[in-house]
Amino acid sequence: MDDKEKITTGGTPSILEIRALQKSFGPLSVLKDISLSVDRGNVVSIIGPSGSGKSTLLRCASFLETADGGDILFDGQYAMHDGVYASKAELKRFKTLFGLVFQNFNLFPHYSVLRNVTEAPILHGEDKEEVHERALGILKKMGLEGKEKSYPFQLSGGQQQRVAIARALAMRPEVLYFDEPTSALDPELTGEVLKVIRQLAEEKMTMVVVTHEMPFAKAVSNRVIFMDGGVIVEQGDPREVFDNPKEERTKQFLRVFER
Amino acid sequence: MSLMTMILKMSEGLGRTCAIFFLTLLFSLPLGMIVALLRMSKFKPVAAVTRFCITVLRGTPLMLQLLAVTYGPYYLFGANVVRNKLIPVVIAFSINYAAYFAEIYRGGIESIPVGQYEAAEVLGYTRTQTFQRIILPQVIKRIMPSITNEVVTLVKDTSMAFTVSYQEMFTIGKQIANSQTSFTPFVVAGVFYYVFNAVVDYVMGRVEKRLDYYR
Repeated sequence: MDDKEKITTGGTPSILEIRALQKSFGPLSVLKDISLSVDRGNVVSIIGPSGSGKSTLLRCASFLETADGGDILFDGQYAMHDGVYASKAELKRFKTLFGLVFQNFNLFPHYSVLRNVTEAPILHGEDKEEVHERALGILKKMGLEGKEKSYPFQLSGGQQQRVAIARALAMRPEVLYFDEPTSALDPELTGEVLKVIRQLAEEKMTMVVVTHEMPFAKAVSNRVIFMDGGVIVEQGDPREVFDNPKEERTKQFLRVFER
Repeated sequence: MSLMTMILKMSEGLGRTCAIFFLTLLFSLPLGMIVALLRMSKFKPVAAVTRFCITVLRGTPLMLQLLAVTYGPYYLFGANVVRNKLIPVVIAFSINYAAYFAEIYRGGIESIPVGQYEAAEVLGYTRTQTFQRIILPQVIKRIMPSITNEVVTLVKDTSMAFTVSYQEMFTIGKQIANSQTSFTPFVVAGVFYYVFNAVVDYVMGRVEKRLDYYR
């Protein structure tokens, strides 16, 4: 299925929907009643101060954290219903629907760039040759042509993060999550990573991006979610949220970035 | 007795020395991994018991353990002491070294960043695939220097088999030293161990070099 087909399947439910999600670490309530939905072909940015629960939200949506309550739906199907997770087999299937790009890349250091990208789909039983070809195509798109045989330590942070994006894309996810993808990079390298994310947005890749890059969030997203203290304070059209925030807390947060 | 005769006589025990060395590695390296996994078990009693066993094995002399395994059955059940002492010697060495290897493995496994597990999980690797393909290779690279240390120690520790009169190289050397009232056999033994360890050093160095392709 190519990208165009994905977006023309209008009418279908949101690829990701979260309702009343709750998560505590011991006595600390990190997510309180979070609801959001992500439509196919859309880019949703999640902004907010450190400790606001953005990353935890993304980690719950990728099953890296176990949420305590609420619903998580993929494509209208329950992965979690009222705090109860679906069966292991079902969760395994849902897992194929999303990819996650980490702040610290988390590439496999003992694998070449190409093997980092190809191993997972091959382990899933896909044809080796096909995966290989696809991987080379994705790497080329990421501007990493000729780096296939390199090892992660030989690459810059920006290149490593682009390999991580390629690795996630090779699994052909329906939605791609980014957890502060540029926070571990210096400003010079941030640009090249944002560029490829922007390129993916233009190709109508569905993405959820936790970021501190405000101009980027404003330019790329279809919707922006501002979180603070484990709740969604405000969400909506990026121009609305950035230029005309309604909540005092949002104004206060965004003011920091204006300077 | 001429030096040449001494060397020849002691060489006869070299095969047994090697037998202890290689058999101990053969059994203790995998056994150590099992012990490490038990030690890290999420089921607390298993972890606690394993931890206790490790402290006993590391906290008491290997010599004592050798005696216990070789003669323990006799004192406990009146069983005959086995003819071929290689068996109890290898059992004692393997268990003792497994305890040390287990702690090295555990340190290595715990040093792998949690992000490696998470990346593998999101990519759909099963737990076994994650351990075998992602974690273990990185652990092996990290623990190689510590493993080399233990292997070098093992070469020298084989000499402890003399306490149960297993006829390996050092035991023969000690017997010659006693009968000839000569220190020379110990010098010969020292040279033997030194050469053995030079080979071990070379081989382990090669292995480490092969793992040097990434950081």
